[in-house]
Amino acid sequence: MTERALALLAQIAIVLFLSPLITGFSRTLKARLQMRRGAGILQPYWDIHKLLRKGMVIPETASWIFSATPYVLFVTTLLAGLLIPTVSAQAPLSLYGGVLAVVYLLALGRFFLALGGLDTGSSFGGLGSSREMTISAIAEPALMLAVFTVALSAGSTNLSVVAQASLGQSWRFLAPQQMLAFAALFIVLIAETGRIPVDNPATHLELTMIHEAMILEYSGPYLALIEWSAAMKQLVLMTLLVNVFFPFGLSIGWSMGTLLSLVLFGLKLLLLAAAVVLVETTNAKMRLFRVPELLAVAFVLSATALISTFLF
Amino acid sequence: MITKAGSFDGLLARGVNLFERWREQGDAEIYADLPSNDARPVTAFLRDNGCRLAAVFAEDRTAAESRYNLYYVFEHPHDRRYLLVRAPVPSDHAAFPSLAVEIPAVNWQEREIQDWFGLVAENHPNPRRVALHDNWPDVHPLRKSFPIDTVLPPFEGERHVYRPTLGEGVFQIPVGPVHAGIIEPGHFNFAVAGEPILYLQLRMFYVHKGIEKRFEQLPVHRAVFLAESISGDSSFSHGAAFCQAIEQAAGVEIPEHAARIRTILLELERMYNHVGDIGAIATDVGFVIANAHASRLRELILRLNEELTGSRLLRGMICPGGVRWNWYPDQIEECVRVLKIFDREFEDLMGIIETSDSTRDRLERTGILDPDKARDLGVVGVAGRASGIDRDVRRDHPYAAYGSVTIEVPVYQEGDVLRRMHVRVDEIRQSLNVIRAVESGLRPGPHCVTMPPLPPDRCALGAVEGWRGEILHWIRTGPGNQLERCKIKDPSLNNWPALVEAVQGNIVPDFPVINKSFNLSYSGTDR
Repeated sequence: MTERALALLAQIAIVLFLSPLITGFSRTLKARLQMRRGAGILQPYWDIHKLLRKGMVIPETASWIFSATPYVLFVTTLLAGLLIPTVSAQAPLSLYGGVLAVVYLLALGRFFLALGGLDTGSSFGGLGSSREMTISAIAEPALMLAVFTVALSAGSTNLSVVAQASLGQSWRFLAPQQMLAFAALFIVLIAETGRIPVDNPATHLELTMIHEAMILEYSGPYLALIEWSAAMKQLVLMTLLVNVFFPFGLSIGWSMGTLLSLVLFGLKLLLLAAAVVLVETTNAKMRLFRVPELLAVAFVLSATALISTFLF
Repeated sequence: MITKAGSFDGLLARGVNLFERWREQGDAEIYADLPSNDARPVTAFLRDNGCRLAAVFAEDRTAAESRYNLYYVFEHPHDRRYLLVRAPVPSDHAAFPSLAVEIPAVNWQEREIQDWFGLVAENHPNPRRVALHDNWPDVHPLRKSFPIDTVLPPFEGERHVYRPTLGEGVFQIPVGPVHAGIIEPGHFNFAVAGEPILYLQLRMFYVHKGIEKRFEQLPVHRAVFLAESISGDSSFSHGAAFCQAIEQAAGVEIPEHAARIRTILLELERMYNHVGDIGAIATDVGFVIANAHASRLRELILRLNEELTGSRLLRGMICPGGVRWNWYPDQIEECVRVLKIFDREFEDLMGIIETSDSTRDRLERTGILDPDKARDLGVVGVAGRASGIDRDVRRDHPYAAYGSVTIEVPVYQEGDVLRRMHVRVDEIRQSLNVIRAVESGLRPGPHCVTMPPLPPDRCALGAVEGWRGEILHWIRTGPGNQLERCKIKDPSLNNWPALVEAVQGNIVPDFPVINKSFNLSYSGTDR
C-alpha cells in the first residue's frame, strides 16, 4: 500500500516538476539555433514562481467560469499525467482509466480553457477559442485512432498494459502500422502543444494567436497555473509518444533501477523535444486555413495505421 | 531627350486657357496660377495626359493677400520638374470644390485642409474629421490667427462613429490604438465573417504633434532637427528633403562631395530599413531564424551609421548647404569593408528565405493590392512599385548625386506581400551598387557651403525618395531666416488607405504580415 502511495507521489513529482524543464530546454535550444543566448533552461520555473506571487487583474465581465478554468485545467492535466507510464511501465492510476480517459481529461481541460477565453467577452479570446476548437476537432480523432492502433496490437486500451506489451518486443516500432501511428501522433503533438507550423508560442501579434489569445486576460497565479498546465500537457503527450513507441528502459514496478529509467526517460524526452524544435526552426507558420489540411494528413496516417494493423 | 510634347511645356501650351499665368522656377518647379478655386478642369486635363497628382495642400495668405492658396502638385511621367498649380481661395468664402470623387488619393489630404485651415471641401464624399479627431473643438490650428501657444480646455466632443457591422455571423474586432509591442497608436476596426476580413476601418492621427505649425516658429538652422524627427526611421530622408527645399529657396548649390556623402547616407538608411523589414516579414509568418539573421545585418549597418555620422539613425549629419562634417579616409574604408560583409551575408540570408517553401506559401498571393487601385489611391514607393507603379524620385527627379548613377526601378505587377518583399530585396542590391559607384568617385573637397540669409517670400519644393517612398517638403520663406509655411508629405499618408484595400478578403491572422509588408509610419502620417 505504501509502495503504491510512494509511486503515486513520485509520478506527481515527475509530472509537476519535470514539465517546465522540457519547455525551458525547447526554448533554449530554439534560441541557440537562432544564434541567440536565450533565457536559460530554468526560466519557466522562475516564471511560474514569479507569477504565483503576483496579484491578479480579473475582468469585470468575467463569471465563475473564468476563475474555475485554471483549476480545472491544472487538475485534469495532472490526472492525465498520472494515467500514463513515465519511468515505470505501471502508471500509478492506470487501474482507473486507459487512453480514452487521458484523451477526455485533456479535452475537458481544453473545453474549459475555450470557455474561459470566451467568458471575458474580449474579441481576441473569442478568436482564440474558435481557432482552438477548430483545430482540436480534427486533432482529437487523429490522436484517438493512432492510439487505438497501438492498443489493438496490445489488446488493451490501458496504457500500462500497452507499454508492457511493447517492452516485450522492443523492435516492434519498426512495424509499418507503428511508424504510421507515430508520424500521426507527432503531428498531433505539434498541433496540441501549439508549436510552429500550427501556432507560434512566442508571438506578440494577438491577431495570429491561438492558445495565447485564449489566455490573454489571465494574469498572476491563474496564469501560472495555465502556463504550468500547458507544460504538463506537453509532457503528457510527449511521454505518450516516447513510452508507447520506444519503451526501452521502462522499469517494471518501482525500485532502485527506476532511477536509471528516469535518466533514460529524460533523454528520450529531450530527443523528442529537439526534433520538435528542429521542425519549428526550419518552417514558417502555416496559413491558418492550411492547418486543418495538415491535421487531415495526421488523421489519414492514423487511419491507415489502424487498417494496416489488420493487414500485417 | 525630352521632347516638348513629352513634358509640362507642351501641356501648358495646350491648356493655356485653363491657367492665368505660369512661370518656371529654377530647373525643378513650375508654378501655375488658376483664376479661381476650381481645380477640377485642370486636374482632369492633366490627369488625362498621364500626369499624377502627388499632393494637395494649403497655405494661409490672409494677412498678405487676404486669401488662402491651395497647391496641387503634379508629376509628369517624362518631366523632371514638378508642376505646382496654385488656386486662390478668398478668405470671405473659405471653400473649394473637392476632387476626392475623381481622385481618391486626395481624400485624406483634402480633409486635412478642412481640419487645419477650415476650408470646406465641397461635395467631398466623406467630409468627416480626419486629422483632428471628432472630439476636438472647432479650431483650425494652421491658420495664422491661431497662436501656437493656445491652450485648449479639456474637450469631450462627439465620438467617432464607425460604419456599422451588420449581418449574421459578422463581428467587429477592434484593435488598438494601443498595441502590443513598441509601435505607435492607430486604430484598426475589422469586420469579419469568421476569419475572412470583410472590410477594415482605419483611424490614424492619434499623435498629431503640430509639426507643420512648429516649423513656422523656428529659425531655419534649428528647423532641420525638427525635420529629422518627423519620422524616426526616415530621419535622413526627411532632413534631406527639407534641406533641399531650403537650398532651392536660397539659390545655393551644394558641393559635389557633400552630394555624394548625402547619397551614401540616403542609401544606408534605405538598406537598414529594408533589411529590417525583410526580417520582420519573416517573423510575422513565424520564420524566426531569418529574422535573427536580418536583425544582425541591420545592426551591422546601424553601427556603420554611427561610425560615419555619430548617430545610429543618421541624425544631426545633414545641414542646409551640405553635411555637417567631412569623412576621414579610414571612415570611408570602414564603409567599404562593412558593405562587403553585408553583401555576402545578405545573399546568404536570401538563400535561407528563398529556399523556404513554407515562407513562400505564406507570402505569395497574400494581401494583393491591385495595380488599378494602387493608381487610384496614389500609392507611392515600395508598395507602389510592387503594384506596377513605375515611379522613383531618384530616377525621375534626380537630387544629391543620383544624376550620376543609373537607377533601375524594380516593378512588379502582382502586388502581394511577396512582391513587396522582392522590391526591398532588389533595392538593397541596387543600393549596394549605388554606394559603390558614388564612393569610388569620392574626392577630397568641401563638405558644406555657408548659407546666405534666406530671402523672404520664396517658395521651394524638396523631393526625396525615402525608403518608404516619395517625401515632399514645400516651404515658403518668411522674414528673419524663418519659414512662413512648411508642408510635409510623408509617403505613409498615401499608403494607409491602400492597406485597407490590400487586406480585404484575407484572413485575420494574415493581417500582421500584410501590414508589415507596407510598414507605414504613424508619426509621419500624423505629424
